[in-house]
Amino acid sequence: MIPLLLPGMKLLFCPQSAVVECLIRITNDKLSLQEIMSELEDNSAGAVTIFMGNVRNHGKHGNVLEIYYEAYREMAEEKMREIENEAQTKWNIKKLVTIHRIGSLKVGETSIIIGVSSEHRNEAFEACKYIINNVKTRVPIWKKEISVESQKWSDGILLG
Amino acid sequence: MRTDDPANYNLKVRLFAILRDVVGEGEITIAVPSGVTVSYLETEILKKYPQLKSFSNKFVTSVNCKVTSGDTIITSRDEIALLPPVSGG
Repeated sequence: MIPLLLPGMKLLFCPQSAVVECLIRITNDKLSLQEIMSELEDNSAGAVTIFMGNVRNHGKHGNVLEIYYEAYREMAEEKMREIENEAQTKWNIKKLVTIHRIGSLKVGETSIIIGVSSEHRNEAFEACKYIINNVKTRVPIWKKEISVESQKWSDGILLG
Repeated sequence: MRTDDPANYNLKVRLFAILRDVVGEGEITIAVPSGVTVSYLETEILKKYPQLKSFSNKFVTSVNCKVTSGDTIITSRDEIALLPPVSGG
């Protein structure tokens, strides 16, 4: 199934396999779990894992009201595509989705959703974990924690 | 490396997150000679924007969306960005 291409959506097919569908998106819009679940539908997949990252009400600098996310969009999309390609060469995956929201997000809102569908649960779990761990350390996206008292960019990991 | 660049030209450099906040602009322009390296460019940036000096070991430079070493030669067609430590997810 080829997903519907909506404004702001990048549809990419991982080159190693014609079967795997990889969807990558960076968006200012609220993330829709229902939409992502439909993107992951595949009758040959017995497992679907979803990781959602939400804005916590506290951080290193105290209580958090909201988080502002910023991306170097062109490079971020390239790195996300690279990570999804790696995942689909490591595991037998049917479909992959990585969507990151940017802009100002309030407590409880979802900043990232990663979805993996595969034949069996183990590869879906492993691939999902691999993708989120690598997105956090290799993709040029930054967050600023905003509280009543201050606005501070989070400590992060220097790209290498 | 031979390029078609003029002897001197203005190079645009994109800044993100805390670096953009510190400088107050998302894009700066640096005058450089042809055949300049990433290290040379970084030195020139710190001269022009001394407020970035305290971040000199807290950013990397990307050329065309790839983090590069200091001896990489830049051309006027390259897209350059300074990237502080990432914290997405």
